[in-house]
Amino acid sequence: MIVYSVYILNKAGGLVYQNDINPGLNRLSANDYLVLAGTLHGVHAITSRFSHSMKIEQNEINMNNNSNILSTGKSLNPNTNRTGLQSIETDHFNLYIQQTLTGIKFIIITSPLKTTPMSRGQLNNELDLVNYLFRQIYILYGDYVSKDPFQASDMPIKNQLFDTKLRELVNQ
Amino acid sequence: MSEDLIIPSISSSVNKITISDTSKTGFGYNPAVGPSSNEITEDTSSILINKRTISLTPHSSNSILDRNLNKKVNEISLSSLSFLFCEIVNWCHKNSKGIQDLENRLNGLGYQIGQKFLELVKIREGVKYSKRETKIVEILQFIHSSMWKSMFGKIANELEKSQDLNNEYMIIDNLPIVSKFINVPKEYGNLNCSAFIAGIIEGALDSAGFFANVSAHSIPKDDNPLRTVFLIKFDESVILKEELRYT
Amino acid sequence: MSSYYFTIIGTKDAPIYELEFSSFKLSSHQIPGKSQFPPNIKEILPFITHSSLDLIEESQWSNNQYNLGKIDSFYGISINAFITQGNIKFVICYDNNSANSKYDESSIKQFFVEVNDLYVKVLMNPFYSVNDAITSPDFDLKVKLLARKYL
Repeated sequence: MIVYSVYILNKAGGLVYQNDINPGLNRLSANDYLVLAGTLHGVHAITSRFSHSMKIEQNEINMNNNSNILSTGKSLNPNTNRTGLQSIETDHFNLYIQQTLTGIKFIIITSPLKTTPMSRGQLNNELDLVNYLFRQIYILYGDYVSKDPFQASDMPIKNQLFDTKLRELVNQ
Repeated sequence: MSEDLIIPSISSSVNKITISDTSKTGFGYNPAVGPSSNEITEDTSSILINKRTISLTPHSSNSILDRNLNKKVNEISLSSLSFLFCEIVNWCHKNSKGIQDLENRLNGLGYQIGQKFLELVKIREGVKYSKRETKIVEILQFIHSSMWKSMFGKIANELEKSQDLNNEYMIIDNLPIVSKFINVPKEYGNLNCSAFIAGIIEGALDSAGFFANVSAHSIPKDDNPLRTVFLIKFDESVILKEELRYT
Repeated sequence: MSSYYFTIIGTKDAPIYELEFSSFKLSSHQIPGKSQFPPNIKEILPFITHSSLDLIEESQWSNNQYNLGKIDSFYGISINAFITQGNIKFVICYDNNSANSKYDESSIKQFFVEVNDLYVKVLMNPFYSVNDAITSPDFDLKVKLLARKYL
């Protein structure tokens, strides 16, 4: 699996970070990237409402766990990646979305699996790997972005250290 | 009568105390009055002789003086330190007029830490076994090793003397821990947040009697992008004194 | 039966703490611990201390001990000093009529070492900065207890 790109969206759905680490995708215009980010954000939100009506119990547990954060108004729906859009698979790429407690979305675009149809085991391996990546990216974000005094929250991330660390992580 | 005494060259805390402020318990020194403010009276003498425990201030029972200086709490969370330092930089930044001013403010915050930490590290080494540092090279080695170790859990990477200038020395750290997660944007030029650590070094050197100016400079190497050089410029008088005494 | 005048001198050569006391050991006096300096000596003690600062600075750089020992004497008053790494001077003036001066030296040294501990503890207080006068009653009490213990 090759990781093509990593995007980060802020909680309003704005694209704050874009790193096309490995070639494999066509470049879009700057505007198209913003539209893509906004669309994914919107679809994610709508699909999470979708599942809300189907899995009320599940959601209530989540809500209780995070009621403190919610009551302070500093976070959006917690852990919505469990109920919203998680992945898109195509013949040319796979796209994975993870949303953190504070509403930041990490998006990874990877190469598709070579073999079709793929076995259940392969799919699980791939998902495990992606989840591992998400966790590591979250750690890097927590370290190098949120602890940087020159980084305002929800603003575009221009950070060489973060770039290098991310590249090291993805290409290891 | 209550008049504020203004005594030159004594710090501001003195001015807050007036001659008429007498201690109710018989303990406590009043610099505006002198040694008669805390002289031993009949009452205080009997307290001392009988070792009666008394509560002088609301926190007497657990005052800072009752705690052990050698207590080993060596490790704190790097995350909380980084977040705290991040806020410190932000706070200085908000109040500063420019990059130089920001560095000066960080330096100033470190300065007081250096003054105090120097004494603490020396106490922890044990006054009986350790020596007072009286030479430039010795105090630099002490800062580079012992003090660095107790502040950052490692010793600094290098200690060098400038080849061109007699009064310049360098302490080099490949990864200063406070700025581990800090990425300085291009528009901030050569700002280095380790100015805070430079302040600590400066405070320690000044209070030990080696007057110096210390500044932090980023000099990255391939595998150490955050490598920082702390440039120490000693006052001429320090160099002169050393030459007169030890050569 | 000696009387003592103890001073802590800051880096700018100004006193930040003073204490007069006498040995608690032989309480032949009505108030044990109260200093027995005659008034004419009492008023020159700060001057004696101040004039010793030059001698302290001289041995500060030629000696790498903390305890500088007996550095001066003046009209039968002996002066002992101790200096910390951070340039804080502890000076004690005492009338030297004790027969066993060797014993005195080592107990003064003990006293200095423990006061140094207390001083650093005061320094750890975030509301205290270097060269401020030490007005804490708790500190005063602890120093007096040390005086009772060692001198």
